[in-house]
Amino acid sequence: MILDLHAHSVKSDDGRAKVRNYCQWIRKKEIGIDGFVLTEHRQFDRESDYGPLAAEFDLAILKASEVETEYGHVLVFGVREPLTHALDFADIRLPLARVLEESDRHGAIAVPCHPGRTRVGMCAHVEALGVPTGVRILEVLNGGSRGREDQAAQELASAQGWLGIGGSDAHIVSHIGRCATRFPGPIADEGDLVEALRAEEFEAISWKSTT
Amino acid sequence: MTSRRFSDVEFGEDLPPLTPDTSIPNVTTFVKAAGMLNERFTDHEAARKQGLPGAIVPGIMSQAVMASMIHHWAPEAQVEKIDTVFRAPVLVGHPHTVTGVVTDMDDDAHTVEIDLTLENEAGETRVLGTATVRLP
Repeated sequence: MILDLHAHSVKSDDGRAKVRNYCQWIRKKEIGIDGFVLTEHRQFDRESDYGPLAAEFDLAILKASEVETEYGHVLVFGVREPLTHALDFADIRLPLARVLEESDRHGAIAVPCHPGRTRVGMCAHVEALGVPTGVRILEVLNGGSRGREDQAAQELASAQGWLGIGGSDAHIVSHIGRCATRFPGPIADEGDLVEALRAEEFEAISWKSTT
Repeated sequence: MTSRRFSDVEFGEDLPPLTPDTSIPNVTTFVKAAGMLNERFTDHEAARKQGLPGAIVPGIMSQAVMASMIHHWAPEAQVEKIDTVFRAPVLVGHPHTVTGVVTDMDDDAHTVEIDLTLENEAGETRVLGTATVRLP
């Protein structure tokens, strides 16, 4: 099963895509993914029910979050209500160690994203802050990466023995599915996704068309 | 350029891409017209002294070339909104391409939503956004 693990909808302040249009786009353009995960910035979208859309388009539509730490941005998969009380998702200076620890404690998993990006990625902070402990997975392919950003992410993951995922980081409809993650089995919900990530059997893939 | 009506448009339709003229003379003409003369737009050395990688195309010029692409595609279109996110500087004198694709259609309002992307020659997105466009 192939999921784009990093996408934003109009629920994010810089997101411009409606979820229905993501679904229409994936089917119209025959994008090779089976679903996507909405990782809205600094929040967890409790309210939206994408079940009917998922059924209509036969796609998995899962919900997660993208929070902000001193090491840059971090995707949190498997968010449930208690975790949103343990962490202030709107805080732009969350300590990464706390995000990792609380995620673990509440059955979620935290994955630093676009690590090669200036300011908001981990690589820029490792020299000053050191390599963080507790990270197991890094986003190594990001659809919005420029220059050597993905390469820097892959080098960091490789040096630390971390695994890599891929996500488009789409903010507009036509960018969905540029990068994704292939899993060996089916994933129906957020719990399955956490389990699949913990099983450590996945690979990041990219369909980015760069020259 | 031919007239394009709402009924001619399909979800997922690509607009013909546009290669904007980002040369110093053209950017200079634009910033003079816009009343925003600043060396960061017209002088690489001055821009570097301001911490930029070189002279940059002003944000409203990027939006203007996006609007221009839409009007090349549909000359009678009314561009109701252009909403952009600036991801990285658009460097003066470097080749860029603006692309657009229809990603939503409102049958009642006769409007379409267009994804807009301005990329450099490495295929890196420098500016992205959407436009809401009304068609006859």
